[in-house]
Amino acid sequence: MSWWRSLRSLQARLMVLVLGLVTLVWLGAAFMTWVDARHELDELLDGHLAQAAALLVVQQATAEGDNELADAPSLHKYAPRVAFQVFHEGRLVMRSANMDTVPMAAATRGFATVRLKDGAEWRVFATQGAERDVQVFVGEQTSSRSAILWAVLRSVLLPLAFALPLLALAGWWAVRRGLAPLRHLSEVLGQRRPEVLAPVVLQDMPTEMQPLVQALNGLLERIGRMLESERRFTADAAHELRTPIAAIRAQAQVALGAGQDDVQRQHALLATLAGCDRATRLVAQLLTLARLEAAPPQDASAVELGDLARSVAAELAPTALARRQILELDAGVPCKVTGNALLLAVLMRNLIDNALRYSPDGAQIRVAVAQESGQAVLRVEDSGPGMSEQEMARLGERFYRAPGQAQPGSGLGWSIVKRIAVVLGAQVQVSRSVRLGGLAVTAQWPRQRSTKS
Amino acid sequence: MRILLAEDDPMLGDGLQAGLRQQGFQVDWVRDGEAAERELASGVYAAGVLDLGLPRKDGMDVLQALRARGVAMPVLVLTARDAVPDRIRGLDQGADDYVVKPVDLLELGARLRSLVRRAHGQAQESLRCGGVRLDPAARQVSLNGETVTLSTREFDLLHALMRNAGRVLSREQLEEQLYSWGHEVESNTIEVHIHHLRRKLQPDLIQTVRGIGYTVLREPEAA
Repeated sequence: MSWWRSLRSLQARLMVLVLGLVTLVWLGAAFMTWVDARHELDELLDGHLAQAAALLVVQQATAEGDNELADAPSLHKYAPRVAFQVFHEGRLVMRSANMDTVPMAAATRGFATVRLKDGAEWRVFATQGAERDVQVFVGEQTSSRSAILWAVLRSVLLPLAFALPLLALAGWWAVRRGLAPLRHLSEVLGQRRPEVLAPVVLQDMPTEMQPLVQALNGLLERIGRMLESERRFTADAAHELRTPIAAIRAQAQVALGAGQDDVQRQHALLATLAGCDRATRLVAQLLTLARLEAAPPQDASAVELGDLARSVAAELAPTALARRQILELDAGVPCKVTGNALLLAVLMRNLIDNALRYSPDGAQIRVAVAQESGQAVLRVEDSGPGMSEQEMARLGERFYRAPGQAQPGSGLGWSIVKRIAVVLGAQVQVSRSVRLGGLAVTAQWPRQRSTKS
Repeated sequence: MRILLAEDDPMLGDGLQAGLRQQGFQVDWVRDGEAAERELASGVYAAGVLDLGLPRKDGMDVLQALRARGVAMPVLVLTARDAVPDRIRGLDQGADDYVVKPVDLLELGARLRSLVRRAHGQAQESLRCGGVRLDPAARQVSLNGETVTLSTREFDLLHALMRNAGRVLSREQLEEQLYSWGHEVESNTIEVHIHHLRRKLQPDLIQTVRGIGYTVLREPEAA
């Protein structure tokens, strides 16, 4: 069927199908006509043969005594195609002009199809008189029958030969008209500017096209949402980068203008450096978030949460010690989850770092890894000031920062945590810590299916 | 000149405060919108620098509330919101200037001086009274063309009086305009500074209105 696939145009396919089917049906009809006409023709002409034979038998019986051989004259142009012989007691008494003395058929009664000396095929009817002294043969060339049949068939097929091109033309027009909405759609899409993402609306759209257009509009909507979030992200990022840069600039200028004041210059230069670190962190976070949104790493492996928590906590411990914060880890139970180790580490680092960052000096931070009702649970609690319900609800909005923060931050850490949780299939909840009084963040994983039991 | 700075970012606020102080401004720094509104309404500041993304109360709301209460002091909005509709909204809702971060500190200082000058109806940058000429940007004072060296406080005091020429300012008002938070003011400090100014410049430049305060007489505008 490669030729079918090579027909790229829907219009061509429809035309081939329609015209092919019309031809097939017509040919079928012609065949049926042929069979039917032939049957009827045979019946009729055989009937005529029998009738003519009967006439000859009767005539011979009434013309007793006259045994002269009579040659009947040929009166019609079809006469050479029909013939008869009449024998009386074995002697030929009457014949048509085109027949000799040899009996046409071997059988003495009934129909037979024979080939005579002249080379033509004849349909012969033989019969006898009541006393079996009269033998009559009536014959007719079969070629005349086929001539009639062909004439009938021609009359059926000829119109098709004329009708087919007309039908093709009409069909082409009809199909083209039927496919007009498709062409209209492609025109509408072709004329669209790439930035226009409004849904496609067509007047009088056929039902067959509705799923297509609906799917297209769904796609446009998704693309629109994606672009919008990209646009918002870029705007937010530009906005959020301005403040750290403004701070760096201001501090650098203060250092320049400090003159003899070494203490002020020193302070401003240190602040400039801190500002650079902060901007670097913000950029790193923005990139992390952008990568997470675009294509999060998919390769997963079995990760022991306790081990991971230990290494992340060890990494952050110096920061905690510098602020006399107590960072403790409770990971006694083995607790495996399936996920991307890198993402899990980023998630944990963000959670623990947030707890350290937003808790006062000397605060207590507790990281626990446990199995709870069949689920792997990571919990980070602190003795910091905690958050109001309202603030908890707004966590994870990009760049949202709880009011009154003295700590520099971007408000992106939570967006990253939330996004990673989605990628890892974990649930993250924020609540008030019962144990320490500050904030408690809980990440839960569905239990790891036991590997190859 | 005493300025109120409302900025929630610790590092930027610190830098702005230090930078404006280097230019001779007295700067008080608040970190949220409610404090900003309270302090700006107190009337002791020559101008305010207002960040828009403030916690507790958005800078835009602070500005609207101030203008609704009839506070006419110059306010410079300093923000990261750089879209044109934001700028238009900021200016229409009462900002006297709209500056997008990051900003050059010297430019910020110049804009503040310009705002204050215009708020007092002056067209020129320098102030004149008799033979005394005061240039706020250069922080220089001259008498009949000769430069006179003044201490920081003396300059600020003279600036406050000349800026408000024709108005009588009480000792308390002068103290408020001269000292930012955290500076203890001795009871006779203003009198001492006035005495020095009279000695270094013209004796009749600053006049005492007994029981009320001090004033510099307004000069008829020279053509």
